[in-house]
Amino acid sequence: MNIETNNPTKFNHAIAHLKNVIDPEIYLNIVDLGLIYALNFDEENKEVQCTMTLTTSFCPMGESITNNVMMALDMAFPGYDVDVHLVFDPPWGMHLISEEGREFLGK
Amino acid sequence: MLAESFNSSFVKTTSHKVIIPFYLYGAVSFLIGTILLFTSSIDFSGHFFNPRILAITHIMALGWGTMMILGASFQLVPVLVEGKLFSEKLAKFTFYLIGIGIPLLVYAFYSFNMGPIAKWGGRFIVLAVLLYLINIAKSIDNSGKNNIHAIFVLGSVIWLFFTVLIGLALVYNFTYNLLPKDHLHYLYFHAHLGIIGWFLLLIIGVGSRLIPMFLISKYSNDKLLWAVFVLINLALTFFVLFFYWMEALIGLTYIPVILILAAIFIFGYYCFKAFNQRLRKKIDDQIKISLLAVAMLGLPVIMLVFVITFLLLTSDIESNLILTYGFLIFFGWLTAIILGMTFKTLPFIVWNKVYHKKSVLGKTPNPTDLFNHFVFKIMTVSYLFGLIIFASGILLAKAIFLNLGAILMLVTAILYIFNVFKVVNHKAIKL
Repeated sequence: MNIETNNPTKFNHAIAHLKNVIDPEIYLNIVDLGLIYALNFDEENKEVQCTMTLTTSFCPMGESITNNVMMALDMAFPGYDVDVHLVFDPPWGMHLISEEGREFLGK
Repeated sequence: MLAESFNSSFVKTTSHKVIIPFYLYGAVSFLIGTILLFTSSIDFSGHFFNPRILAITHIMALGWGTMMILGASFQLVPVLVEGKLFSEKLAKFTFYLIGIGIPLLVYAFYSFNMGPIAKWGGRFIVLAVLLYLINIAKSIDNSGKNNIHAIFVLGSVIWLFFTVLIGLALVYNFTYNLLPKDHLHYLYFHAHLGIIGWFLLLIIGVGSRLIPMFLISKYSNDKLLWAVFVLINLALTFFVLFFYWMEALIGLTYIPVILILAAIFIFGYYCFKAFNQRLRKKIDDQIKISLLAVAMLGLPVIMLVFVITFLLLTSDIESNLILTYGFLIFFGWLTAIILGMTFKTLPFIVWNKVYHKKSVLGKTPNPTDLFNHFVFKIMTVSYLFGLIIFASGILLAKAIFLNLGAILMLVTAILYIFNVFKVVNHKAIKL
């Protein structure tokens, strides 16, 4: 897992919540699937910034996944604004799936 | 505190309100098709040019196959071309027009009244396909991503347009004698442009993207897909050219058949490689039946080789071989794909509608929990036995096989429609 962050303490808390967001087709959580690129925290403006991708643009499950990311981060950091930034460069690839994710898919 | 600040233009897919009516129409058409198969099963021991068989073929090709594919394509084309569908309104108009046209045409065939009802049916269908063609072409153009999958889709819709135009000309030919050659001659032409140009090209174009995606396979090979695209279109071009010299050069009809066989073989190899290089080891039943459908494509092709061989050796058209060939395409290959892919797409569309803002707040069912898996398994068994028994009934001209096969197909359709309605009527629950 290679996710950029500026706050390792809050990062772990965010990851724990984001692991509850499951890709409904693959049944794997979006962290191990490699959809999260960066998690940064702006303490001055009380903001969580999440940069993420989807396995494909116009993914039929895309709206559901991004909504759930926002809700998960909102639950993890009450009182913070949540900013989800969706990017497709670099595109998602299978190399981004974590070891745990590969193990889960190989079962 | 939720700050809605993500670029939603990348995730807004086609509304379920556009897609679900196509699925429901397709499911009801499948049921009607199997009822007609049951009530007309004895006709399958006679000649294929029969009003009831024409009605069954068109309810299966248009009401079932085409409606399901149109519905699914409105969801999948944005994924393939990485861009939004050009117009949801146009998609709705396509539904209304084709939805009116199909029953008119099927009723006209069944009652063999090829007057105004058949003509209006044909006109509505041609107009609907034209709107669909515009919608797809504009979606691809707007996205600016002319990848191989998009090219397959566009190519297939162009062939569909030619197919329905020739179909309309055939309807007019009953009353105006428009066409210079024998009516049956054009019927073969019309049928194969539809089967190869529309169904085969589209299913390979979409399947080559979806199969690796669902299997989470790293395999991709655009060169092979281009080869498949060229082979199929070359086969269709040869087919169109030979059409005018068919009587003189009948041996040459093997050329398009060999080209299609090569294309199917390459696509089979592509699926095999994607399957072997998959990360996801556990394969669900819906994907299994879809992969089985790829293999089942070989059956009608083998049957076609028999038909042409008989034609060459005896100059005789073996009606039971042709009927088996058609049956294996519409009730075999095409139906198997749709039975599998319906439950790979529809539950996700409905789940997205019901749960997209709820799933993290509490445990919710998985999309695949929206249909009854036991009913799905029974449906699959009933379908496979029905297919084999009915096809044997046509080949052996045995009424008991035809009746039993038709009953099993009817059971398949009832179980299928039960699960489709179960999915569509799903209401939000928390586990």
